[in-house]
Amino acid sequence: MTTPDANGTPAIAVEGLWQVFGNDARARLKEARGRTGSAPEAAEELKQQGLIPAVQDAGFEVREGELFVIMGLSGSGKSTMVRCISRLVEPTAGSVLIDGEDILAASPKRLIELRRRKLGMVFQHFGLFPHMTVAENVAFPLKMLGKSRAERRARAFEVLDMVGLDGREDSYPRQLSGGQKQRVGIARSLAVNPDIWFLDEPFSALDPLIRRQLQDEFLKIQSGLRKTIVFITHDITEALKLADRIAIMRDGRIVQIGTPAEIVLKPVDNYVREFSKDVARGRHACLDSVIQTEGPLPEMPDDPKLRIDMTLDDALAACMSCYENVPVYDRDGKMAGYVHPKELADALTVDSE
Amino acid sequence: MTDQTAPPATALPYLTPGTRAALASLLVAAICLALEGRADWLWEWPDAWTLPVTDWISQGLGWLFDLIRPVVRVISTLLRYPMDWVNVALVQTPWPLIIGATVALGWYAGGLSLALLSAIGLGFVLASGYWVEGMNTLALVFVSVPLALILGLFIGIWANESPRARPWIEATLDLMQTVPTFAYLTPLLLLFGFGPVVGLIASAIYAAPPMARNTLLGLQRVEAEVKEAGIMAGATRRQQLALVEIPAASTQIMIGVNQSLMAALSMVIIAAVIGGFDDIGWEVLLTMRQANFGQSFLAGLVIVAFAIIIDRISARMATNRDRHDLRISWIILAASAALAVYAWAALPAASDIALLAPTVEAVDGALTQFTRATGATLDSIKNTAMFYGLLPLRIGLDGAVLPFTWGFSWTATMSWVLLGGGAALGLAVALTGRVAFGASLPVMAVVLETGVADLPWPFVLFGVGAVAWVAGGWKLTRLALVLLALILVSGLWERALLSLYLCGAAVIACAVLGGLLGLLSAVSNIAWAIIRPICDMLQTIPLFVFLIPVLMFFQIGEFSAFLAIILYAIVPMIRYTRHGLVTTPPELLEAAVAAGATKTQIMRDVRAPFAAPTILLGLNQTILYAFAMLVITALIGTTGLGQSIYLALGQADVGLGIAAGAAMAILALISDRIVQGFAEERRRALGL
Ligand SMILES: Nc1ncnc2c1ncn2[C@@H]1O[C@H](COP(=O)(O)OP(=O)(O)OP(=O)(O)O)[C@@H](O)[C@H]1O
Ligand SMILES: [Mg+2]
Repeated sequence: MTTPDANGTPAIAVEGLWQVFGNDARARLKEARGRTGSAPEAAEELKQQGLIPAVQDAGFEVREGELFVIMGLSGSGKSTMVRCISRLVEPTAGSVLIDGEDILAASPKRLIELRRRKLGMVFQHFGLFPHMTVAENVAFPLKMLGKSRAERRARAFEVLDMVGLDGREDSYPRQLSGGQKQRVGIARSLAVNPDIWFLDEPFSALDPLIRRQLQDEFLKIQSGLRKTIVFITHDITEALKLADRIAIMRDGRIVQIGTPAEIVLKPVDNYVREFSKDVARGRHACLDSVIQTEGPLPEMPDDPKLRIDMTLDDALAACMSCYENVPVYDRDGKMAGYVHPKELADALTVDSE
Repeated sequence: MTDQTAPPATALPYLTPGTRAALASLLVAAICLALEGRADWLWEWPDAWTLPVTDWISQGLGWLFDLIRPVVRVISTLLRYPMDWVNVALVQTPWPLIIGATVALGWYAGGLSLALLSAIGLGFVLASGYWVEGMNTLALVFVSVPLALILGLFIGIWANESPRARPWIEATLDLMQTVPTFAYLTPLLLLFGFGPVVGLIASAIYAAPPMARNTLLGLQRVEAEVKEAGIMAGATRRQQLALVEIPAASTQIMIGVNQSLMAALSMVIIAAVIGGFDDIGWEVLLTMRQANFGQSFLAGLVIVAFAIIIDRISARMATNRDRHDLRISWIILAASAALAVYAWAALPAASDIALLAPTVEAVDGALTQFTRATGATLDSIKNTAMFYGLLPLRIGLDGAVLPFTWGFSWTATMSWVLLGGGAALGLAVALTGRVAFGASLPVMAVVLETGVADLPWPFVLFGVGAVAWVAGGWKLTRLALVLLALILVSGLWERALLSLYLCGAAVIACAVLGGLLGLLSAVSNIAWAIIRPICDMLQTIPLFVFLIPVLMFFQIGEFSAFLAIILYAIVPMIRYTRHGLVTTPPELLEAAVAAGATKTQIMRDVRAPFAAPTILLGLNQTILYAFAMLVITALIGTTGLGQSIYLALGQADVGLGIAAGAAMAILALISDRIVQGFAEERRRALGL
């Protein structure tokens, strides 16, 4: 698992987080953990008692401005995870720090304050208020902040314009298509300009074409806003396209956290491998994930001028006719390491057992 | 029913719970029969063992009422103001304006059809000459409904906010809906004294539960993510409720408003039996007592007109958000106001209009002629049903079979033949494998021989307990036995059995007839197109009105009560049967067709079993409806608990009123739990 930068407190720090659904979960979790040594065993025992351990012993940190993707199959506990972080459900055990503040210890008043100013959330099934128009939906968080009617409406129009929904301000949610509803949800969560943004499968209800378009728009918005984002998806292509780092969940557990390249090239188990099976690795991984930097430099007769930020596909194309180790340079032109073309080819095809 | 428990640990061959229950009941029946004549206390609960429960209640409540009466007086005085205002407003407002306003509202909510409905309905009320009485009734409804809505909303929100209080609140709401309507009135009468305030309070209390239920249901059904979106926007709990959850639940809450309105109207009309208020319910009662059926039919129709207009407009507003052009509403209103102002002198006062008087006379005449012409037929229908159906069920063949009706008298030998035949047939059936059914046959023979009203109490306790055990295990058995024992020791047992008999007879008739009509509606769209509006209509009509047509043809008596109960209680049976039968999953039907099943086979082997839980729920509703109507039929001469409740009202005997009301509620509650238990078990067996 990757550690975040040492400098500064992480925007979100989660440690030992458990969410167990069922009666008397807290006591039974404690008991199960006391009896068994490891988290998976405890979870297994809880399951046998008829409880649902939806999140098990999760831990990770999200840096400020980072786009952190949580990925996993349906029912793996992704939504529950963000609900814990935003304390929409009360975690059974563990700690969640937001900008260093223990959110599980926050008073109800402080929690309201945090949600009004700092946190934004886009829901998997939109969660639009059926009795409000699009503009009223978007303006609702501003109303909670006590902004004036005129101010609310102006800001609502502004964010609606940003997500490309201008002209639909006075429609009701039931009059909108799925994609349009999702944009309203996004606009609403952006209205108060939160620092931390949770998005629960925001694009999964859309057809592929619109989805790609919205992803691009999303990246554009994010490049301007630079928010700390927790983004949930079960689509690996989406995850690879958007993420700075990805956490992969399975049955309530985080099985791997890493950059897109790490996920693609060094999957920790078959579950993760299965996810990335169909993605073209060469396009998502760069040379930095395969180069050798240690030991004495070998003999290198050829120099196809590989750079560290080339994708594997491009690099392989450049050294098609080489059979020995070749040097790799960093952005300033200094030698950063070397790679053997065969290893390069292997990296694209490994794990196909 | 089917096996749901593990085989017992005894050495006996494995018997299903149903079989064990039937055999046990049979054993108790045999013991009781064997001791007939020797142990009277078995057959009749001795007076010496009866506790003066009704006196205790009277004394306790009397003490309590004395304590709170000053407060109540204040409330009563305070309520008089809005009541008088609304009453004056409705009665004094020129009728063209009221009709115009209703039509305008009808248009706004539902366009042309509802505007027309309002115009025709109120036009009819005006023409009937019952305008003032009608407005008096409406005034009570319009004051009681806001009270009921506020109360219901508050209770619903409370139940939603406090998971700890919720089960208690829900149980109380359940109970309030099983307590018979008349039973509300006696204590209120004692507290508030004679007058319309009693009707007002009773209807506010009676109309609150539907509002509370729908509010709770609506709030619980708001999508989790919508609630969470409110939380994430940083709303306080109060803001979440007021700005997000209640508005998002508005459709369900409006359905509550609709049901609350209908309940209030029904109760206001029932409260007319107290008298002292010149309203339309009183008019029906009065004309009914005078055997002035044309007139009472007309007054009944006025009630129906109100019920339909109120129901359709409020239901449309609940379920359909589209509103029609408000400007047209304003035009209608302005036009009617103009008519009221300019033509006021020329228009007759509402109370002077009696356009339908000739019609009433014609109806009366025709009715007299009809009853005279078909009197013999009607009588023979009634007598046949009484002598060969109801009476044997009530007092048993041993009492009902007389030379005068059956042509011979019942002898002890016949009893033994009947019982022996039942036993033999039961054994034969049991040998084919259907043991539970076989064992229950001789039990039925015992009931038929003895009559429901004369059954020995140990047998009833045991039988009900056994059925409760099959339906819901020991917990339900305990509940049923404790509650029944309460009735037994309070000295209301015989009356309870009489109520049980009449209700049971009506429910059986509803089940058979309603089941058949439901089946017919399921197979034929034409039949459903005819039956459906009739069902809609029957469900809109306030309880009270059902008495009029049966009285017109069959006079006062048990048979009329029986018919009135059927008319009212059959609707859920029809609806649920059809619904259950037509909603079989298509995959099942396709599988059956692919297996080469005929239509009849599909109905019998696929649709019917699948529909069983739904049909049982319909039966459950039918039972509750029947109990509700049973009390009202006390007005036209039934015996049993309903009669006691009604008498208690007349004598202001709060102890008897409450005890008998509670006994009725107990019977309804036990039936409800048992049938629900069976429905649940069927659902589980089907894996639903
Ligand atoms: N309120 C709840 N009560 C009980 N169980 C719950 C609750 N919420 C979620 N679960 C269970 O927790 C598990 C994880 O659910 P979750 O919604 O987090 O999955 P997910 O990864 O978001 O799936 P999807 O991709 O389908 O949205 C599931 O087994 C679910 O049934
Ligand atoms: Mg989810």
